[in-house]
Amino acid sequence: MNLSDPAFWSRLQFGFTLTYHYLFPQLTMGLAWFLVYWKWRALWTGNEKYNQAARFWAKIFGLNFAVGVVTGIPMEFQFGTNWADFSRYAGGVIGQTLGMEGMFAFFLESAFIGALIWGEKRLGQRYHFLAAVAVAVGSWLSAYFILVTNAFMQHPVGYQIDADRLLGIGSLSAYLLNPWAWVQFAHNQMAALVTGSFVVAGLGAFYTLRRVHLTQAQLYLRAGTFAGLIASVLVAFPTGDQQAKMVGRHQPVTLAAMEGKFVGGPIAGVAVIGQPNLEARRLDNPIEVPGALSFLAYGTFQSYVHGLEEYPKDLWPDNIELLYYSFHLMITLGTLFIILMAYATFQNWRGRLRSTTWLLWVLMLAFPYPYIANTLGWMTAELGRQPWLIYGLFRTHDGYSKVVSSGNTVFTLIGFTGLYFVLGLLFLSLAGREIARGPDLEVPASLQEKEALV
Amino acid sequence: MIATWYGIVSLMLIIYVVLDGRNFGAGMLHWFVAKTPEQRRQVVAAIGPLWTWHEVWLVGFGGTLLAVFPRLMASAFAGYYLALFLILWGLILRGISLEVAGHINDRLWQGYWDFIFMFSNFLLAILFGAAAGNLARGVPLDAHGEFSMAFFTSFSVRGNVGLLDWYTVSVAIFAAVLLAAHGATYLTLKTQGLVHNRSTRAAKVLWAAVAPLFIVISVESWLVRPDLLGRAIYNPFWWLGLLIAAVSSMTLISGLSTRREMRAFLSSNFLIVGLLTTGGAAIFPVMLYSTLSPANSLTAYAVASSPSALRLAFIWWPVGFALAITYFVFISRRYAGKVSAKQDNQGFY
Repeated sequence: MNLSDPAFWSRLQFGFTLTYHYLFPQLTMGLAWFLVYWKWRALWTGNEKYNQAARFWAKIFGLNFAVGVVTGIPMEFQFGTNWADFSRYAGGVIGQTLGMEGMFAFFLESAFIGALIWGEKRLGQRYHFLAAVAVAVGSWLSAYFILVTNAFMQHPVGYQIDADRLLGIGSLSAYLLNPWAWVQFAHNQMAALVTGSFVVAGLGAFYTLRRVHLTQAQLYLRAGTFAGLIASVLVAFPTGDQQAKMVGRHQPVTLAAMEGKFVGGPIAGVAVIGQPNLEARRLDNPIEVPGALSFLAYGTFQSYVHGLEEYPKDLWPDNIELLYYSFHLMITLGTLFIILMAYATFQNWRGRLRSTTWLLWVLMLAFPYPYIANTLGWMTAELGRQPWLIYGLFRTHDGYSKVVSSGNTVFTLIGFTGLYFVLGLLFLSLAGREIARGPDLEVPASLQEKEALV
Repeated sequence: MIATWYGIVSLMLIIYVVLDGRNFGAGMLHWFVAKTPEQRRQVVAAIGPLWTWHEVWLVGFGGTLLAVFPRLMASAFAGYYLALFLILWGLILRGISLEVAGHINDRLWQGYWDFIFMFSNFLLAILFGAAAGNLARGVPLDAHGEFSMAFFTSFSVRGNVGLLDWYTVSVAIFAAVLLAAHGATYLTLKTQGLVHNRSTRAAKVLWAAVAPLFIVISVESWLVRPDLLGRAIYNPFWWLGLLIAAVSSMTLISGLSTRREMRAFLSSNFLIVGLLTTGGAAIFPVMLYSTLSPANSLTAYAVASSPSALRLAFIWWPVGFALAITYFVFISRRYAGKVSAKQDNQGFY
């Protein structure tokens, strides 16, 4: 890591702005289906408490969505500003899905977000429900297109190298239906649903512990823990499992680095604890489950797992320590999520969740961890892809903008740091305000008038 | 095919400018036409539900540009580095100040964010205007088709130019006045009471200022790029743009003087479409003109994707565009008419 290398600063800026940005869409994508569910229940049962829940969460959603939009636009721009040589080389391929994301997903999402947040009074209940569906579908579609783009960088398929030695599309269907994209989409969307569920359940626990808004809190707890259990299980199995198998098949050196395996062999274990030591090329203080990695990655305990030593060093991911910890902490958190949500769902089914104070405390305090796990998952994917920008085709170091000096990138990185710090403060304080005020606001007077007229 | 894609990409940028331009204009003016927080909430209600829908046209434009003209995006975005980040930061401030102002019903809080909102919209109009000026004047492209541009050099329009010089600054001022006039016309249509009356007056004054400024920058453009006119007169789209601009100026004047607000607003949209079409047709086929040597200029033909990529984009783009038009119809019907702070709010107060 050379601090005078412009590529380093462009990577840091992209990594920082993307990590920050993704804190918001993961909640958008998770929460969107809760809004759809509550709007649907309200239409179906006519019970106003569901509308109240939807109206309350729509405020948090709107704030979250706005920060997501404004922090998302710099991502697309940076392809051109900081990664010009990558854009020149691969624009004909990745531009297709970035364009589709705009045309098919963002247009749908943004056309109806206003209707969802501002438009209940103008639209009426049925259209308002449809607006929630449109926003949810749009946000998940946008995830698909961006994940196809990322999957191409992880496992390039469907491309051709044109006469000018730049990339073009060979087969659009192969590119759009990249098996890597499907697995990553399933895994990533379940992870977003975990975030949404933990936030909803956590707020339910908060209100229950404070003995306020109890009817609403009960709704949040029930929906949050149940969806949280399903999503936590699905994120590990089958989606996470398939994702790891995909890495084992197409990026064996990445798998070795994720597990800190320097020497290959059969009956390879999974380290529960251990610190990778690159100087000595071994895992320090390892506690391993023997054979687990062979089984998980390739299906039998006898399967051979490649070690880092088998590859030249310039094919190793360039930050093995961080990659190893990202992967292991993500797995640890994912396991804890399943245990927590399974027990909470069980207690809720027995009708004892509301009275189990310690469990409510844990649920209330657990909401940041899915954000951390999502971030770690993306760090695993992106650090694991190094040193390639497009795996096996194009190196990260070849992709940055040669005309942009380190000085310019450091300047904009400082700007983003300051601006995003302020954004974070604003988001937390305003979301905190809405949470403190709570969902029990009376139905707005103007809405009552309208209903009286109808 | 490449000329068609040039047209499509220009169309998306024009739609963006027309749609978000009204927000820039209304945002710049709201500080002056709406004096109390309550009046300002009326302006916010006219912009609020739709600004993300307007802003994503920029994202759709960027994605399409990357797919069909990747080498242009690479050269231009890296070259305009600092200016683009100022635009990004302006967009962040614009969106956030609009969203958060309504959350707390407090004079100080709303006053602060209303000011930031006005300031960021003004900054954006100026920066987009300067960017348009740069496209017309050219940038210091080297023989590899790359450039790295300072904010300002000698304020000259030839040779090693900077982002700002007498020409690009005039275009920026013209853009700010034009978008302010556009925004005032929009507010006239959407608001009631005092805000409406002030907007009506502002629209007349601003449109009256647009006319002489237009003549000034036309002459300046001819001085800066004397080569353009000779080619442009053979381009039917250049004539079409002029025709649209001329007709919509007539209907705009009639709309403003007879208080037909919808007519005035539609004309204002089409006037901008006409002006940008004229500009886009005049510089075609050069997408980035080199001030160092015309041989370094990047034409649409030189920066386009491979034919396979262009053909594929032809499959999905029309579908996406048709869907966008459908949403547009839905939105226009749902949000037609004047806004009221009572009906159009986020439910915070």
